[in-house]
Amino acid sequence: MKWFACELHTHTLHSDGSQTLGELAAGAANLGFDAIALTDHNTMSGLSGKAEIERKYGLRIIPGMEWTTFYGHMVTIGLSAFADWRQANRDGIDAGIENVHRLGGIAGLAHPFRIGSPACTGCFWEYEIGNWSAVDYIEVWSGTFPSIQTNNRRAFDLWTHKLNEGYRISATSGRDWHAQGETDDPISVTYLGIEDDAVAGNGGSTALSLHEETLIQALREGRASVTIGPLLTLTLEAGDALYAIGSTVPTVVERREAAEDPVRANLTLDFSVRTGLWSLQKQVCRLKLCSNLGEELNLEVPSSSDEQMMQFEAQLRDSTPDIPRRWIRAELWGTVRGVDVLIAFTNAIYFEEGGYPR
Amino acid sequence: MKLLDLQGYASPKDSKTHIRIPFELEEGCVKLNLRLQYTPKTLRLLKESYDLYILPEHREYAIANADRHLPLKNLITLSLDDARGYRGACHRQDEVQDLYVSDREASPGLMAGELVPGPWSVTLSLHCIVTDTCTYRLEVWTTEEDSI
Repeated sequence: MKWFACELHTHTLHSDGSQTLGELAAGAANLGFDAIALTDHNTMSGLSGKAEIERKYGLRIIPGMEWTTFYGHMVTIGLSAFADWRQANRDGIDAGIENVHRLGGIAGLAHPFRIGSPACTGCFWEYEIGNWSAVDYIEVWSGTFPSIQTNNRRAFDLWTHKLNEGYRISATSGRDWHAQGETDDPISVTYLGIEDDAVAGNGGSTALSLHEETLIQALREGRASVTIGPLLTLTLEAGDALYAIGSTVPTVVERREAAEDPVRANLTLDFSVRTGLWSLQKQVCRLKLCSNLGEELNLEVPSSSDEQMMQFEAQLRDSTPDIPRRWIRAELWGTVRGVDVLIAFTNAIYFEEGGYPR
Repeated sequence: MKLLDLQGYASPKDSKTHIRIPFELEEGCVKLNLRLQYTPKTLRLLKESYDLYILPEHREYAIANADRHLPLKNLITLSLDDARGYRGACHRQDEVQDLYVSDREASPGLMAGELVPGPWSVTLSLHCIVTDTCTYRLEVWTTEEDSI
């Protein structure tokens, strides 16, 4: 799996941003991004000139649009045509998501707990979602230094709650990037995982060797890991098979005699990503495995200052039959700017046994 | 040629509504011009509240920390549909917006392309009206081939 650094929520002067697509792309390339999604409010006119800008900065630009509506902001990416955002009913968003899907796109809740009307109409998610299975992702981290913000903690909790209920929803970060300008705040990255064979031949590990649909598919399938520092990844090993983030461990594998063939978790912390563009003070961090059963593992791990890759292994305990394990994810916690915060988290690996309300 | 000059008044109860304004575009238009303006833009009430109710020594702190969302703003945005479908939106805070679309060019947010004759519409989206009254005015006019 190759991991591509993405920024999935951006604006230009085609809505209320104060940057051109070229300025945005230049800024993103400087920050080590491989791809961005342009998600202007209610328009896609800003994509004009996209191909040339992609070539100039070696950066993939995914077409998108933020539905900026009265009852919520919904980021949509990968649509082949326009889907109308001008529905006003609070119980009408399911039809809207269906339209996005029909046009080949995916939809996510943008900053669902940011303060709403009259400070920012629609910024707080007030739609009543009838079918949570249709929601592709939740932007659980919004803005810079996102993990410190209480509204993002609520969004993260919403995601966890939905995973506990059995839904399979991806989680992303989005800067909601409106302008160029220096910031000292930690910047979050959503890494999308691409199967090695989906990265085009000729040694191409650059983003331009990827079709935008490949990136969207990765997010659709939950192959995403979010961080303000090192790249955190997780795989599970069970019954001679390897399960990556976003995949599902089948019941038949899960039910094997656990004593003979336990499920092993492999965790990797890669400190070499986006070298020089972030830093973490020297400290002992906590690497966790969390699931609907609670905190399953809590390892003390050193932070690395020499860009190395660290690997850790753990064995999952048996889940009791009455409370099946539905999902599991990895989290990295530590001190940033003097505050104990979540530094990185993976999307979930799911368990078929745990049921699925789709 | 003038197609529309419409003035309206909105109040807080009109928040979160769309106003769809249809018009007919005739053959021969090479540039469609739109001007949206609304006033007032901001609600000053809170500033006055601070002056009235907050001790002078605390005011600076209160204002500094409220600034992220204040002053409260009216927000009306414009989106455009031609006889075939969506032509984009201009979602921004500016209370005066001079916009146009033509075959080759358009204001940011709108999409350039053929100006097909037939039924068009402007949709005004009243995201938030925080003042007792907000006056808006929408003008639409065309520039024809022979006037260039």
